[in-house]
Amino acid sequence: MEHVTFDVERGTTLAILGGSGSGKSTLLRYMIGLEQPMAGRIDIDGVGEPHRYEGVPPFGVLFQSGALFSSMTLADNLALPLTMWTPIRGATARDLVQAKLDLVGLGAFAEHLPGEISGGMKKRAGIARAMMLEPSLLFFDEPSAGLDPISAVELDELIVTLSRDLGITIVIVTHELPSIFMVANSCIVLDKTAKGIVARGDPRALRDTSEIPFVHNFFARSSPEASVNQGR
Amino acid sequence: MSIAVRAEREGDRARLVPEGAFDVAHAPAVARAVAHVQPDLEGCRSIDVDLTHLDRIDGAGAVLLARLLDRLDANGDRTRMVEDRNPEAARLITLYRQKREDPSPARPQPMSALTKIGVVAADLPTRITDTLDFTGRCAAALPRVVASPRSVDWRSLPWLVQQIGADALPVTSAANLLVGVIIGFLGVSQLGRFGAVVYVPELVVVAHFRELGPLVTAIVVAGRSGAGLASEIATMKVSEEIDALRSMGFDPVRWLVVSRCVALVLVVPLLTWVGDALALLGGLMATVATTDMTPRAYVLATMDAITVNHFVGGLIKSPFLALAIGLIACGQGLATQGGAAAVGARTTTAVVLAIFGVIVINALFTLVYVVMGV
Repeated sequence: MEHVTFDVERGTTLAILGGSGSGKSTLLRYMIGLEQPMAGRIDIDGVGEPHRYEGVPPFGVLFQSGALFSSMTLADNLALPLTMWTPIRGATARDLVQAKLDLVGLGAFAEHLPGEISGGMKKRAGIARAMMLEPSLLFFDEPSAGLDPISAVELDELIVTLSRDLGITIVIVTHELPSIFMVANSCIVLDKTAKGIVARGDPRALRDTSEIPFVHNFFARSSPEASVNQGR
Repeated sequence: MSIAVRAEREGDRARLVPEGAFDVAHAPAVARAVAHVQPDLEGCRSIDVDLTHLDRIDGAGAVLLARLLDRLDANGDRTRMVEDRNPEAARLITLYRQKREDPSPARPQPMSALTKIGVVAADLPTRITDTLDFTGRCAAALPRVVASPRSVDWRSLPWLVQQIGADALPVTSAANLLVGVIIGFLGVSQLGRFGAVVYVPELVVVAHFRELGPLVTAIVVAGRSGAGLASEIATMKVSEEIDALRSMGFDPVRWLVVSRCVALVLVVPLLTWVGDALALLGGLMATVATTDMTPRAYVLATMDAITVNHFVGGLIKSPFLALAIGLIACGQGLATQGGAAAVGARTTTAVVLAIFGVIVINALFTLVYVVMGV
């Protein structure tokens, strides 16, 4: 990747789109500090480069698989960031964990192990864990991947709710077009041939008006009717 | 049923007429027909393919015809299918010609033995750098653990002690008991030739306490718990759990490696101590069963043979062997990249390296003891 410059407006949802090998996941790993770019700068809320940052992470991340710790219950998974970064323990910690589980619709599953719940529920639990330290920014890596259509739509609705009701800024890496039209206010499109961003803007506008062949083909995979029906 | 591809020439123009059943059942005949017709088309500039006389065509027949057309096109001929005469056959042939147009990715060539050696050699600096990097991170983690004890997963420590220690006790005990029996039999057969059976208890004590006890216990732990730790962390790595830890601000070395190494350092000396005791029992069983020595005489001779040097000299190695197992297993787990196959490969590497590392460290200790005259 060579030509990637973008800002994310506070309280909005940005989708990072692109075909396989375009660098979406790599860009996400740079942003959350798991890898270091060879050049360039990433600044999240003025806290500096993510890979150098030590302390309470200013963001939460939902990984593609949910990445819950399989030997811990959902409650313990959610309590982990609290244990590390806050003095909150005992009943208060349990209340906070329960509230987050309730928020994502998993209030009754606090004592379940990740292996005992479905893929969609794991992702919702992953979102709840990502929100435990009350970040103002959430990153989602392919949240709908591997889910049935109903679970995918439920997850998209949850993302919309988080953005709208809690004012959380969301950056989502995906290639699921129905999800993009449902959750994203804006998007950037990466192309491996161009080694960077080839288009940016409102996903619906790009779908309807973009004259760039790659962008046109990318959005043409989804029928306008289907997108309109699922759009906000 | 006759199968042929007829070529009707008019100057530099030709009409190609496949006839018969172009299907998988007749593929050899179709291939021969296709091969025979190509020389007849030498010098043609324009070739029309008439599909009217095809009785039947399936994917196999279409592929063979598509390849013929590909070759003719590659020679500079201009081929054209007369589609209105048999549109289904034309679509099928076109489908395979379109597939043919996709550039196939270059297949990796199998490496020669020399190339493999070169690849391993070229990879060596990276491996050394990674090992040093991991060792450095572990060393840097220690002061941070002291400064921030909650950055270590202490809650899992009892479970790890149970897994690495209590659960491994039967197998390490059995291994040490049998090694004691082996040394006993060996001592009886060799020392007995000189009438020195009375020294068998001392042989068991010296051989097992100083060398074989720590070594056998560590090798069994490396095979059992080392594999378990490496595969657990490798699975966490491929299922993004390590990434999740890092994204929440946890240092995986402090959170995962420290607690596992602490558990090993606590438990392996205990397993060694139990193993030492059982090896003495094994030596007793072997000696009493094959000589006239009474159990009481064996026990008394053993008590005379046990010295602080022998006992501590063996046990002092155990924490270092345990630490090596933990660091190698966790390091290999954290270095995993890829899917399920990578987990298996890293686990195997971890076990092999851990066993080799244990033997090397044990040898170094023996050398030091010899030099120090201990």
